[in-house]
Amino acid sequence: MDLRQIWILYRHEVRSALRERSIVAMSIVVPLIMYPALLWAGFSAMSFVEGQAERLTSRVAISGLPAAHAPLADSLRAHDRISVIEWDGEPEEALRGVALGRLDVFMGFGPPGAGTEGLADNIQVELAYNEASDRSRAARVRVESTMRSYRETWVDEARTDLGIRNPAWADFAFVRDDVATAEEGIRFVLGLLVPFLTLIMVALASYYPAIDATAGERERSTWETLMTVAAPRANVAAAKYLYVATFGAVGGLLNVTALALSLRWILTPTGGAEELATGSIPFGALPVIAMGTMLLGLLVAAGMLVFAVFARNFKEGQSMITPFYLAMIFPAILVQSPDIEFTASLAIVPVVNVALLIREAILGSIPLLPGVVTLVSMTVFVGLAVAFAQWVMRREEVFLGASEGGLGTFLKRRLGVRGREA
Amino acid sequence: MSDSPVRTEGLSKVFYDASRGEVNAVDAVDLDCSRGEILGLLGANGAGKTTTLRMLSTILRPTSGHAWLMGHEVRAQPERVRAELGFYSASTALYPKITPRETLRFFAQVNGYPPKSVEARVEELIDRFRIGDYADARVEKLSSGMKQKVSIARTVAHDPPVLIFDEPTVALDVLNAIELRKIISDLRSDGKAILFSTHVMSEAEQLCDRIAIIHHGRILAVETLDGLREATGLHYLEDIFVHYAGVKDADAAAEANISSEGAGASPPGAAPRGDRKEREGSSK
Repeated sequence: MDLRQIWILYRHEVRSALRERSIVAMSIVVPLIMYPALLWAGFSAMSFVEGQAERLTSRVAISGLPAAHAPLADSLRAHDRISVIEWDGEPEEALRGVALGRLDVFMGFGPPGAGTEGLADNIQVELAYNEASDRSRAARVRVESTMRSYRETWVDEARTDLGIRNPAWADFAFVRDDVATAEEGIRFVLGLLVPFLTLIMVALASYYPAIDATAGERERSTWETLMTVAAPRANVAAAKYLYVATFGAVGGLLNVTALALSLRWILTPTGGAEELATGSIPFGALPVIAMGTMLLGLLVAAGMLVFAVFARNFKEGQSMITPFYLAMIFPAILVQSPDIEFTASLAIVPVVNVALLIREAILGSIPLLPGVVTLVSMTVFVGLAVAFAQWVMRREEVFLGASEGGLGTFLKRRLGVRGREA
Repeated sequence: MSDSPVRTEGLSKVFYDASRGEVNAVDAVDLDCSRGEILGLLGANGAGKTTTLRMLSTILRPTSGHAWLMGHEVRAQPERVRAELGFYSASTALYPKITPRETLRFFAQVNGYPPKSVEARVEELIDRFRIGDYADARVEKLSSGMKQKVSIARTVAHDPPVLIFDEPTVALDVLNAIELRKIISDLRSDGKAILFSTHVMSEAEQLCDRIAIIHHGRILAVETLDGLREATGLHYLEDIFVHYAGVKDADAAAEANISSEGAGASPPGAAPRGDRKEREGSSK
């Protein structure tokens, strides 16, 4: 294999691609700008919606409140974001009002549950709210907070009336303590987000170059020009493969870099930026992410070329390559579950293993055995994918675009009915 | 063995067609082309000109037979063959996003022109083909006439001894076609062996030193224009072509045992006809 010749062909492919607006947009501009901008817009929208809900007055309907607990209604009325509505109608109608968004919370008062009847004026409160509504959820939080204060005061008075004094009344304390720092919390989110976006970005950044290097050449009628150069077909295929892999890996790396650099800006709407100390993605994780992205780029490039090489024009290329693109996205969705553990057996599965490796690196610890298995597995799969891509691309009927149908038809013909061309 | 830069022996290509089955696109073609010669391949559309030239340029693999370019066999040494060859056709377009200068540099480099001399070669081509004014503009911005010059310069970027022009004037206007023929004629003067396919009779008459008439994948005659005239007793190439093509069809009809009536007299020196007579003679 003449490396100098491959370098000349590769440089030629890359130069042409860098002057193609659609490729530059999809492989460089989108990774750099789109996801940081999308995330910022998403967080901004979430914060805006939450802020809106916080600013709105909660419409709370109460029904059947005993006279002995009238101070509860007073406490609710004293809240500057709660508007109390005395409900005289049927409770079902109030519940419908909550469901339809006309009310935010319905409080129904009734007799206490079994075993607590002995306590004078004891009651049971049923809160109906709509989990699907920001405004209703915010109202529930407000009502529960007011209720909790009122309940503590009421229980304290009841205890005094019963002659129970401290320490006899001493309850056991329940204290919550989140040992995760704010930065660790953000890393957890990034551990889910970055592998997902990296996978999508590598696939997206390889998509157009793969079509451009094959169907694009045919559509521009430069394919035959290239076929007459004094380079072995294997060198032409290798240069095209490296070109697609480069764009895939660079697209993925640019995306991660852009995310890391713009994270403070992205999190500003949530107030999370203040919680970030320095750099959100640990420095030690960067080489792992870079290596993982390159491995993904190498694998995806081979896969996409195998599909795209059968296409005779850009449209065909898009339709042939899209199933593979979607197949790449599926593992990205799978690793969104934080409960998936990075085990040695899962580390054999290509793509999934790299996504989990990146997640673990961001979380700050990489289990040794799955890490090594991932490297070995990806190397083997990349080797197999490249060998298969080379085998397919070197067939005369494929290289010349004379093979009808896609990869499936080609394989069927090779494995089954041979000798269509005598 | 002939020392012709281009030589074929029994070169054949069979395609499989779903509706027609096996199709003999090129059938046992024997050709040769010398240095400083333009060999015209004259035939109707679908006669097998492009398939023949594609096999010579290693784009297609022959089903049987052999072809050598500068002594390299097309199946055994395809890269060596392509290094000795410049191929130009209506379907060998230029890369639109790079400049003519970059185009020439790329094709000289990738075809193995000595690295140290590449830049000098690029400048030489820019001067020779007078493309200096737009050498650094992107190809996509050029007119079709400009692109044509760059395309020919691209074909000869690595200074190959053999050139193939497959219906090069098919999409050109009259002036550009004239200029292209002039360039090809100049390349002959440089000592290149040139294969030139066309279905335009006047082009073949003006440009070609010898003309190979190809019909239904078979070479019916290879001669100078004068030789063809002498062999057929006809003056115009169009008549000569129709004469040979008609004979070929009559032969086919005879082989199919239908009728050879009206096929006309057998032209003296016409190889396929002569062969048939010889076979008939020997069977008696």
